[in-house]
Amino acid sequence: MNTFRNFHPLTLALYFLSVIGISIFTFNPLYLSVGFFGSVLFLITLAGLRTTLKQLRLYIIIFIIVTATNPIFSHNGATVLFFINDNRITLEALVYGAVLGLMIVEVLVWFKCFNLVFDSERLLYLFGKAFPKLALVVSIALGFVPQFIRTFKSINSAQKSMNTKQGRVRRYLASFSAVITRSMESAIVTSDSMKSRGYGLRGRTHFSRFRFTSYDAVYLFLFLLMFVCTLPALLFGHAKVQFYPYISFANPTVSLLSFAVLAMIPSFFEVKEGLKWKYSISKI
Amino acid sequence: MKSFFKYLITILLIPLTIFFGVFLFGAHSYPAIMIIVAMLACVPFFLSFEGHSTPTRKIVLLAVMTALSVAGRFMFAPIPFFKPVTAIVIISAMYFGSEFGFLTGALSALISNLYFGQGPWTPLQMFSWGIIGFIAGLLSQPLIRRKIVLVLYAVFAGLAYSMLMDVWTAMWAEGTFSLSRFIAAVGTALPITAIYVISNVIFLLVLTPFFERKIERLKTKYGI
Repeated sequence: MNTFRNFHPLTLALYFLSVIGISIFTFNPLYLSVGFFGSVLFLITLAGLRTTLKQLRLYIIIFIIVTATNPIFSHNGATVLFFINDNRITLEALVYGAVLGLMIVEVLVWFKCFNLVFDSERLLYLFGKAFPKLALVVSIALGFVPQFIRTFKSINSAQKSMNTKQGRVRRYLASFSAVITRSMESAIVTSDSMKSRGYGLRGRTHFSRFRFTSYDAVYLFLFLLMFVCTLPALLFGHAKVQFYPYISFANPTVSLLSFAVLAMIPSFFEVKEGLKWKYSISKI
Repeated sequence: MKSFFKYLITILLIPLTIFFGVFLFGAHSYPAIMIIVAMLACVPFFLSFEGHSTPTRKIVLLAVMTALSVAGRFMFAPIPFFKPVTAIVIISAMYFGSEFGFLTGALSALISNLYFGQGPWTPLQMFSWGIIGFIAGLLSQPLIRRKIVLVLYAVFAGLAYSMLMDVWTAMWAEGTFSLSRFIAAVGTALPITAIYVISNVIFLLVLTPFFERKIERLKTKYGI
C-alpha cells in the first residue's frame, strides 16, 4: 500500500517546511484554522482517531493556558473587558492569545505528524546528503544507544544484588561508569575493525533505498505550486492581521485556498490510497 | 574556495534572516527567527568537521560520547531531571577539544529527539548544548587542572542552558519577547533549573577523575 510516508525524504521535508513555515509567518486565524484542520485530519489518518483525541486533549490545555495568560502579560488594546489589580484585561490581548495558542497547537500537531512520518532512516538520508561524515557518526551512535542501555541494565542489576546497602544514585553512577569503560574500549576495537575493512578509502558507495520517482516529481511540483500561490499573501501582507489597538483583517485572497489545498493533500492522499487498497482487495 | 563560499553564505544568511524576518513578519515571528538562526549557527561547525579528514578512531569516539549522553537520559530515567547530557558534553570537550565538544552536544540533541520527538526546539537545543561544549573546549586546561573552575562551569552551563530555553519558551508563549513573561518562565522553571545545576556538578565531579583514568588507560593500551 502506498502511503504519504513512501515519498522521497526530500519531498516530505519540503512539504513540512512549507506548511509549518506558512502557518508561523502568516499568523492569521483563517490560515491557522485551515492548517490546523489539515494537520488534525492527517494525524487521524496516521495514528487513528483514538490517539488523535488523546493528543488533542493535551493540546487544548496548552491552548487554554496560552490564551488565558496573554492578557495578564500584555495590556495593549482598546476594548477593556475588566480590571485585575489595576491592570487592564483587553479583548484584543485575549484574541491575540487565542490566535497564538492556535498557532502553537497547530505547529505541535504538524510536528507530531512529522515524527510519525519521518523516521531516523529518512533523517540520516537527508542529513547525510549535506554532511556525510556526521551522518556516519549519527548512524554509529544510533546503533550504540540501545546497546549501551542493555549493558547498563545488566550491570545495574548485578550491582544491585551484589551490594544491597548502596544508595540508588550511587549505584546508578557506578553502573554508568562501568558502561563508559566498556563502551570506550569497544569504540577502539570498532574503529580498528572499520579501518581494516577499508573505511576511508576512495571509491566508496552508499546504499539507500530511497528513489526519487515520477510520483515524487508530480507531488513535489504540486506542493511547490501551492506554496508559490500562497507566497504573495506572506510577502505583500495580504494575510496581515492587526491586533492592537483594534482587530482588523485583510480580505482573504486566493492564497488562502491554495494553502487549504496544501494542508489537505496528505490526508487526501492517505484516504485515496487506502480506498484503492481496500477496493483492490475486495476484487480478489 | 568552494568551502569558503559555503561559510560566507551561512554567515551572511544569519543577519539576512533577522532583517527580513523582523521587517516582513513583525514581532510574532521572533521565535521562528530564533530557531532559524540557531540552525544556521550550527552549520559552520558541521562544515568545518566535513572539511578536514578525521581519523576513524576519532569518528567512533565521537559516536560513543554522543551515544553515552543520549543513553544516559534513559539510564537515569527513574531519577527525574537528573541527566548526564551536559556533563558528558563538557567532559568530551575537555579531553578532545572544542570542535569535538560542539559536535557531541549538537548530535546528542538531534539523536535524543529522535526518541523523545523532534520539535521546533530541536535546533535550539542542538546549538545550546553545542556551544556549552565549545566553550568548555576553549577552557579545557583550567577545567582539567582546577576543580573549582569545573564546578563553576558546571553551574554556568546549567544556568545558561535553562536560560536559553526559557527565552525561547517565553517568546513561544507570547509570540514576541517581553521581560515580565521571561521572568515568569524563569521563575516557574526554577526548581528544575536547580536540580539541573546540582546534577551537572555531581556528574562532573564523579565522572571527570574517572574519565581521566580511562583515557590514560586507553593511551597505554592502544597508543592513541
